[in-house]
Amino acid sequence: MIVNVQDALASKDIRELTEEKIIIETKNLNFYYVPDVPALKDINIRIPQKKVTAFIGPSGCGKSTLLRCFNRMNDLVPGSFVEGEVIIEGQNIYQDGLRLEKLRNKVGMVFQKSNPFPMSIWENVAFGPRVNGISNKSTLEEMVESALNQADLWREVKDRLEESALDLSGGQQQRLCIARALANKPDIILMDEPASALDPISTGKIEETIEELKNNYSIVIVTHNMQQAARVSDYTAFMMIGEMVEFNDTKRLFTNPEQKLTEEYITGRFG
Amino acid sequence: MADRISYFRQKGDPYILLTSLGLVISLGMVAFMIWLILSKGLGFFWPSDLIQVNLKNGNSHLGELRARETAYIAEQEKEQIQLKIGNREILGRDFIWIDQANIQSESWPDDAVTFERLENGNFYGFIQSLHVGEETLTGESATLFRKCQVYQDSARNLRENILDMENDLTNLIEPLTRLHREISLLKIEWGNLSDQDKKELEKLEMRAAELQEQLTPRYEELSAELQALITRNRGIFVSVKAATGQIQEIQLSRVVRFYRPNRMNILAKSGTYIAKLWEFLTAKPRESNTEGGVFPAIFGTVMMVMLMSIAVVPFGVLAALYLNEYARQGKIIRLIRLSVNNLAGVPSIVFGIFGLGFFIYMVGGTIDQILFSDTLPEPTFGTGGILWASLTLALLTLPVVVVATEEGILAVPKANKEGALALGSTKWQMIRKIVLPNAMPGILTGLILAISRGAGEVAPLMITGVVKLAPSLPLDSAFPFLHLDRKFMHLGFHIYDVGFQSPNVEAAKPMVYATALLLILIVLALNLLAIYLRNRLRKKYKSSVF
Repeated sequence: MIVNVQDALASKDIRELTEEKIIIETKNLNFYYVPDVPALKDINIRIPQKKVTAFIGPSGCGKSTLLRCFNRMNDLVPGSFVEGEVIIEGQNIYQDGLRLEKLRNKVGMVFQKSNPFPMSIWENVAFGPRVNGISNKSTLEEMVESALNQADLWREVKDRLEESALDLSGGQQQRLCIARALANKPDIILMDEPASALDPISTGKIEETIEELKNNYSIVIVTHNMQQAARVSDYTAFMMIGEMVEFNDTKRLFTNPEQKLTEEYITGRFG
Repeated sequence: MADRISYFRQKGDPYILLTSLGLVISLGMVAFMIWLILSKGLGFFWPSDLIQVNLKNGNSHLGELRARETAYIAEQEKEQIQLKIGNREILGRDFIWIDQANIQSESWPDDAVTFERLENGNFYGFIQSLHVGEETLTGESATLFRKCQVYQDSARNLRENILDMENDLTNLIEPLTRLHREISLLKIEWGNLSDQDKKELEKLEMRAAELQEQLTPRYEELSAELQALITRNRGIFVSVKAATGQIQEIQLSRVVRFYRPNRMNILAKSGTYIAKLWEFLTAKPRESNTEGGVFPAIFGTVMMVMLMSIAVVPFGVLAALYLNEYARQGKIIRLIRLSVNNLAGVPSIVFGIFGLGFFIYMVGGTIDQILFSDTLPEPTFGTGGILWASLTLALLTLPVVVVATEEGILAVPKANKEGALALGSTKWQMIRKIVLPNAMPGILTGLILAISRGAGEVAPLMITGVVKLAPSLPLDSAFPFLHLDRKFMHLGFHIYDVGFQSPNVEAAKPMVYATALLLILIVLALNLLAIYLRNRLRKKYKSSVF
């Protein structure tokens, strides 16, 4: 069927989430991989603190791109550039002179495919604190234990911290990556389809972990899986072709979407 | 039928056959080469039996049988044998061909002795008598032979004493020699000397005279002792009768070893074989490299390869890191990468010329002017040496290391690099902790390839510091221990020199094969060392710790 995106967007009415404390705010954000072809078009979104916010949308809609704007991982793509502002905790992260390491220390990221480093479990988790200048052994021990605990992994690995991280199972590896991000004590955790490569049981565990983490962290998660978004998130943004179609609290978006496009997507009429 | 032929062609059986044939031919050639080198090289040390050939014209020859073959001379078939007859001072040549038709009889005399001498090659003959000072010992050949063995030991000790004493003597007058050198240098520039310099010169001359007076008594004492030792040593010799009838006196101290091959059993021969092999590996060469050992060449080869590795790996790795991690990928980088790859195909002699022009004349010349101006015009670094040769080879092998390191870097998963950056590490931290450890096997693969290429290279060395006979090793006990300016010997060049520049090519032929075998083994050993290192590192970086 043919979807008329332009019509749907004409009546764009993204609810402002004024009652929550906002941690990430974008202002007229445009992103280009190549000049003149925006991958993100005029994104205005306010992401609340200590909640789980999910980005859903069909492949190539720009949800991962948007996520990667929040810790400037897109800077690694040669030739890409950004217009507009991304304000995290009151500071525009695209302003000149910002230290990327500090930003990424504060905004952790978990990738689609688990990427443990080829070193021991302990060293994987201690990597972030170490590169950020912490070298006191006992401080590191504490940080590693607390991070692994938060990622619900400590029980499983506490006796084998010196073993290679590559010997862990897929689900454990992904939780190790979460622990690794947590060890930096970030405010925000970005998750780029963290469970898409895992079996249902491991996925369930990851979702439980997310549930626990949201008490202390603001989480932004990109997912292909609408059920997952409905299960874990408090707010959901639906994106299409680089545009924010609808941003709403999750229950409302899935039960009573304001946009026709959203409705068509979540009922499976396209996507 | 036509159908079957076309199916046969579709299936490509002839091509499969062709591919296997190609493999068999290449492997066969390699196996043949190794067999040839092994058989010709290892046989060199085996003590051969001595044959005595009596000719119809009454002459006779004693020697090692080297070959029997059929020659065609004036369209006539002739059976010939080749003998190594040694006895250079009598016969003037080491090898002769004898026509089978001229031979009266052949025998393998028990008492024939092979003398391996420090000079003039082998001597084959029969011991007549042993002389020690005024004494002359004769008698039954077996006891005489045993006595000779006893006296050879003492003669050898005596000779060592003489060498030590000669050294002492040189050391004693060394300060005086240095003074004379300074004086003569000053005198050369007489016209340009200021008054002050002239005064200095006078002072030096006075000091030289003083020193000479001081040293003379000790010097004369030592020389007298030395002379006495030399005379005593000269008194210990054997008279050996050659098969041709002449009697030759051979000083025992100038004999490396002597044996009666025809009386030796396999065990005794093996002992001699091992002794000769050991000499080959550990001794200095003699007789313009055709005899003795190749130790200085082994040492030079290994040391040069190590210096080369030390130079090439850091530069190659840094260059590859910059190319892959820091440089903006684009046309210029592509061009640079292409040039680096093509550098690997430049003929090695071109690198040699560059080494001569840049390292030796420019860099070395400048170093000499700044640091060693007192010894000019005699160059220190401004001439070929092991440092310049190693650097030239490092340049030659640089592309190999760069390419292999780049491959190693590209093999590091992008996810790991992004992961490290997302954790707030700087790019340099990411490179040091993620990229370099994971690229290490690639880097070591580059090192292995560089060693293989560098260790066998000869052409560029010939103009950057290899010599046929180096007076001293580049590493010794004299301060500063590592003498990077010294010229050195190299197995590859040794093969060329012995095989093609030697005055006695026929005698040196087995030496060429033995040296070639050794070169192969050393390259193999160096490679195995690097492979071992790589495997260890692989394990290490697989499991933990950086």
